[in-house]
Amino acid sequence: MAPVLGPLQPIVDMLTSPLFLEIVLFPGLLSIAIIGALLGWLERKVTARVQLRIGPLYASPAGGILQMFADLIKLSFKELFVPENSDAFFFIMAPTTGLVLGAALVGLIPFAPGLQIANIEVGLPAFLAIITLSPTLILLAGWSANSKFPFIGGLRALFQQTAYEIPLWLSALGVIMMAGTMNLAQIVDAQTGGWYILPQALGAFIFLVTSVAEMERLPFDLPEAESEIMMGWQAEYPGVLFLAAQGPGFVKLYAFSALFSVMYLGGFLGPSFLPSLFWMLLKTLIVIVLIMLLRSTFPRVRLDQLLRAGWTTLLTLAILNIGITYLLVVGLPTL
Amino acid sequence: MTDLLFLAFAAVTIGAAILAIEARDLVYGAAALGIAFLGVAGLFFLLDAAYVGWFQIAVYIGAVVVLILFTVMLVGPKKGETPLELKRVSLLAAMLVSLLLGMTGALANATAFPGPDACGSGCDLALFSTSLLKNYGVPLEFMSLVMAAAVIGALALSKTDRGQ
Repeated sequence: MAPVLGPLQPIVDMLTSPLFLEIVLFPGLLSIAIIGALLGWLERKVTARVQLRIGPLYASPAGGILQMFADLIKLSFKELFVPENSDAFFFIMAPTTGLVLGAALVGLIPFAPGLQIANIEVGLPAFLAIITLSPTLILLAGWSANSKFPFIGGLRALFQQTAYEIPLWLSALGVIMMAGTMNLAQIVDAQTGGWYILPQALGAFIFLVTSVAEMERLPFDLPEAESEIMMGWQAEYPGVLFLAAQGPGFVKLYAFSALFSVMYLGGFLGPSFLPSLFWMLLKTLIVIVLIMLLRSTFPRVRLDQLLRAGWTTLLTLAILNIGITYLLVVGLPTL
Repeated sequence: MTDLLFLAFAAVTIGAAILAIEARDLVYGAAALGIAFLGVAGLFFLLDAAYVGWFQIAVYIGAVVVLILFTVMLVGPKKGETPLELKRVSLLAAMLVSLLLGMTGALANATAFPGPDACGSGCDLALFSTSLLKNYGVPLEFMSLVMAAAVIGALALSKTDRGQ
């Protein structure tokens, strides 16, 4: 193509390149922001339905769907202040870094063949490695506020991480063994013959439980626990910063549900009369609603219950799952 | 491009490492240590060892730095308290570290490393795991001792405070 715009041509080329559009529009930043806000609405609506309430209603064209955008406008006009004697650097850095890391997670997910921002060879460990950073940020956020409840919340996030982290990695190992690769797009391709939800049923269960604990959602929302320590590490956050502290939760929900569909539900595979992107988003939505139903069904566990379950039950089951997967992949050992 | 990236990662690693030692507030020191580990992970990525790089992030930042932060927050000095001056110990530590560095350098020079495991671009998982567990099993186990050392250190520090 002949350069018609003179010196501006390289800039226009960059702005219209597929990768740039993927990063900015879909599956990148703009779609993450919109989906994150919509998930906030969906969560309130689902929880309300379970409890026989109506939920958000007035900010609508349909069923209060604009509620979160109204909240967003409200929060951004609130006064932004950093509490006295707090550590301003970490107070602001922790939630914003959390948002960036959440968006990075979505960048690793294959949404359709070729529609993936970063198709790297070690996608699955990369996803899990990025997610291990979030309790650190929560601890720093809780510490920096220089207040009691946020600090307790931060320490709880840390205790919780020791409970779920190892079973989470071990349950993901089962999928890697079945697929023989750590590349997320190739893991989807390897499920053409059958989704891994059946042979990896135990692994999928452990992965779901531990990832709910990782996302700090009910029944494992100990670092927030609004009825015990009133939002825990988020308690001191004002206005826009509260938005930045809440946001990563929904982005992680989106990313983890997408990862669950990729690992166990065949990702973008599906009947060919609809585009593969549709199947991917449908499966992700189903997993999201399932996780939201967990929230309205189960009471919050205690910290010691979670630690005991993580180190005994879940760890044992994860190792058992690796044994089962070995038998499925390699067969009975010949003596 | 690779040279520039190498220089950038090296600068970040060294700068953050200096900050980790010199920071007045121990929490800032621990956070700087995390950034130094990120720089090291970047160097692994440059070496086409993405697998090692991601595990560097998961283990060293996700676990070791968190344990350090945890200990600092539970038993660390209060804000405004002057940090401990440990001149003799730091001299001993410097000698030990340079001895260790010299030994590692000599060993690295003497050993012929096989080519990169290349999990950055097209990774043969079976070959990779075999070489990791068969050829490098013992070094791998020694590396995992770092984790154990961090856990034992964190436990020991928080115990001593409780006794007082």
